[in-house]
Amino acid sequence: MFIFITAGLLLLTAIVLLVLRFTSPDFRYAWLIAAGGGLLAWISVFIWQTGIPAIVQFPLWQPEALFRQSPLFVVDGIAWTFALSLTTLCLAVIVTAVARPNFPYSLSWIGILILTALGVLAVTADNPLTLVLLWAAIDLGELVAQLRLVEGPKMSERVVIAFGSRATGILILLWANMVSASNGFEMDFLSAPPQAGLYLILAAGLRLGVLPLHLPYASESSIRRGFGTGLRMVSAGSSLVLLARIPSGSVESPLTPFLTIFVSFAALYAGWMWLRSPDELSGRPYWVLGFGSLAVSAALRANPIGATAWSSALILSGGALFLASAQNKWVSRALYFGAWGISALPFSLTATGWVNERQSLWFAIPLLLLAQAMLVAGFIRQNQRASRATFEDQPIWAKNVYPIGIAFLLMTIFILGFFGWDGTLKLGNWLAALIASLLTFGLLWLTPRLRLLNPVRAHWVRPSTSSWLDLSYRSLWDLYRALGRISNTFSNVIEGESGVMWTLLFLALFITIFIQRTP
Amino acid sequence: MSAPTIWIIVPMLIAVLLLAVSSPRVLSLVGGSIAVVLALLAEFIPIEQALTIGAFSIKIDSSLSILGRVLLLRPEEGSLLAMIYGAAALWFFGTEAARTKARLVPLGLIITALMVASIAVEPFLFAALFIEMAILLSIPLLTSLYKAPSRGVIRFLIYQTLAMPFILLSGWLLEGVEASPGDLALAAQSASMLGLGFAFLLAIFPLYNWIPMLMEEVSPFTVGFLLWILPTSTLIFGTGFLDQYSWLRSSPQLKIALQSAGTLMLVTGGLWAAFQRHIGRIMAYGAIAETGFALLALSLDARLGIPILFILIPARALGLAVWSLALTVIKENAESMRFSSVRGILRTLPFASVGVILASFSTAGFPLLAGFPARLALWDGLARVSIGSALWMGLGLIGLLISSFRMLAVFSMADEYTGWEVREDWIQGIMLGLAMIGLMILGLFPQFVQYLLPNLPAMFERLGQ
Repeated sequence: MFIFITAGLLLLTAIVLLVLRFTSPDFRYAWLIAAGGGLLAWISVFIWQTGIPAIVQFPLWQPEALFRQSPLFVVDGIAWTFALSLTTLCLAVIVTAVARPNFPYSLSWIGILILTALGVLAVTADNPLTLVLLWAAIDLGELVAQLRLVEGPKMSERVVIAFGSRATGILILLWANMVSASNGFEMDFLSAPPQAGLYLILAAGLRLGVLPLHLPYASESSIRRGFGTGLRMVSAGSSLVLLARIPSGSVESPLTPFLTIFVSFAALYAGWMWLRSPDELSGRPYWVLGFGSLAVSAALRANPIGATAWSSALILSGGALFLASAQNKWVSRALYFGAWGISALPFSLTATGWVNERQSLWFAIPLLLLAQAMLVAGFIRQNQRASRATFEDQPIWAKNVYPIGIAFLLMTIFILGFFGWDGTLKLGNWLAALIASLLTFGLLWLTPRLRLLNPVRAHWVRPSTSSWLDLSYRSLWDLYRALGRISNTFSNVIEGESGVMWTLLFLALFITIFIQRTP
Repeated sequence: MSAPTIWIIVPMLIAVLLLAVSSPRVLSLVGGSIAVVLALLAEFIPIEQALTIGAFSIKIDSSLSILGRVLLLRPEEGSLLAMIYGAAALWFFGTEAARTKARLVPLGLIITALMVASIAVEPFLFAALFIEMAILLSIPLLTSLYKAPSRGVIRFLIYQTLAMPFILLSGWLLEGVEASPGDLALAAQSASMLGLGFAFLLAIFPLYNWIPMLMEEVSPFTVGFLLWILPTSTLIFGTGFLDQYSWLRSSPQLKIALQSAGTLMLVTGGLWAAFQRHIGRIMAYGAIAETGFALLALSLDARLGIPILFILIPARALGLAVWSLALTVIKENAESMRFSSVRGILRTLPFASVGVILASFSTAGFPLLAGFPARLALWDGLARVSIGSALWMGLGLIGLLISSFRMLAVFSMADEYTGWEVREDWIQGIMLGLAMIGLMILGLFPQFVQYLLPNLPAMFERLGQ
């Protein structure tokens, strides 16, 4: 029941804010209500620890003969980790809102509260049906928010394409269900058959933009820092939870090595682009892609705990960096703690990230380590940049409150390293972490010395991705148009003057084919 | 009082009276209310059971004899009548919002009653006549006195009318099969005739080209009503056939034929929809795919397929109602229904645009929407029989999803800094808003439909067991 308390608190706060927005637009304490609701929800997640593990059943879908699954939720260590990460991010977005130029803007708090509530429910989903429903809700929510925010046909088209790619992830998850059904299994996350395991990874990879490599939001600086960060992270978190749910025996396939190689290159590409991105907001899609790839690779190596660790790091460390918009030397120093969170060093949040259950996939590790080093180096470089806004125009209370939001995220990184789930207090693969750390320092040392590693200027970052990707997508588009022409020709024939005769001819043809096929 | 009197003759008489009313608002309210009352009566007043209210006792007989023929509405059919009249109420109430021809209400009520009669009549041979009458009555809805009928209307009339001789002929042959069950050639001939008759009636591939043509030429709201009532009643009528003849029911060829036809309808409907640049034609292909889903459901084991068929019906009704109303509102406000004319309308007609999008997503089985639970159950059932068939169904769904994404992209591609406004009037807004909430509720809680479902499979004595 604790799941619903957390989600309920978030939704209730959103409703109160919505009512206030319509009834008293000048109400002065809306931010306090939002922050209070966020804080209570954050605290309520800790209460989950008193009843782990637990299962909560929603009303059954009927008739039961037709619907073999009904919405079902589970509270376990993985769900708790994700839920804590998401509620912390929500709280941080609201608390740091005091430093935004558009403060107070209750609509974005309402949005993030609702999205987080859906995200919390998604990360506790115990079967594909529940996850599919919540993915759809999050995607629709994100679609509405994006369509309200973006301007211009090109941007709108991009939003729809991003929605389409995530919806394809939903379709693939459903297909995994069908593959299980055809083998006589009832698919749940505890017993996904081997035939379905790769589809689960593909579904999560597609939603993250890893498989096939694509950037749903290549250019998103127009989206606000606070709400935009929440939007990206909740969406990513709800997709990543699937990776943490895949049983280790379900990803054994001849295709696994190829997927691992592909994912490693996606991680390298994202790490490289992140390292050279002009600022953290321009690089945000690559951050999500990079850590998403690391999480997918962990799942392919039968390491769901590692996938959870990379996912939480994506949300928490990323959230801290993206929300830190105002110049504050203490915040800048504290953010190095975020870098520790993604270092995979012993007792850090990501300590389990390099545990390799499937030794046969060793060949991908060097590429992935390099990718991690680039992501960490990029994190440190972005933190060191001096282009953040100053506090000059902010009231004194805002100056004091804003760092608390960042502190919540950093504190949670610390907490998750030591408490509450299966990935705590782990030494992990310290050798791999050490190599990644050395590579990170090497990259940081080389950055000012090698022009190749310098950040590209903002206008050099094209909204679309690299040309070979453009080419492949253009080929697909050409194929689509060619098929469209064929379909139009066929329609014109059977709808034209002689259409009735053509139709009867086709009918005779199909009957002939059918008669030949039947015994 | 008999059930056929209440649900067939009374609506027809009221409809004839309504023909004299000219106010669209009165027609919409009266017609919608009558349909709702008929639906509530069907759901709550048991047939063939004495209902005692104080000193009064009423019993509704299930049959009515006319000219030696029998109209029979069995007690199990109450929920079906409730669904049919409940869905008809959606269109009748929507007439005012759609600002479509007011005669949709009286003629629609007669068509609905005729289609109910086609399910109720015994011997079944006469159903073909009722269906033909309904088709002829729908022509005034699709044409105008001042304009020559369009090609789509003529083709609709040709194909639907061609069904009648095939069904009548098959009825005559079936009598022969009953007399000499061992005559395999006769059985094959009658099955072929029957198959062709239903192929024309249900607009099975490639006989469906009148549907996109009609959607281009005539009011989408009117066509939406016909695309709901005609195939739905025909499917029930056809399932009755299967129930009646054991040799037909147990024929392995029938399963293959149903599966092939359903797959063809779904895949061609989905793929054709993906390439359209006219939002009306996309709805047409969506309706074609809907019939494909129903045929696929019938191809499954009856214990699974019949309940799936019945849960497809409410989703289809609500989806088509929302889709057709929203398209009518868009048609009223845009130059045409081609993509080039409806670009960016999300910012000016938000309710209608979202209505079209949600209805099309519902047809494509997008989660959270009314179509999802039924499609999930169907897909699961197909996968258990053959993963290949499930793959084809997936292909059809992808086609439908692509068409939905394309519409969404076109609707949202407004020029930079175009302001948001609501051009729909309040009736349109409320009707579309409520229907969209309904789509969501059915998608999240399919158990609501379960209230109507338990007795429906019993309509078919042998298939439903």
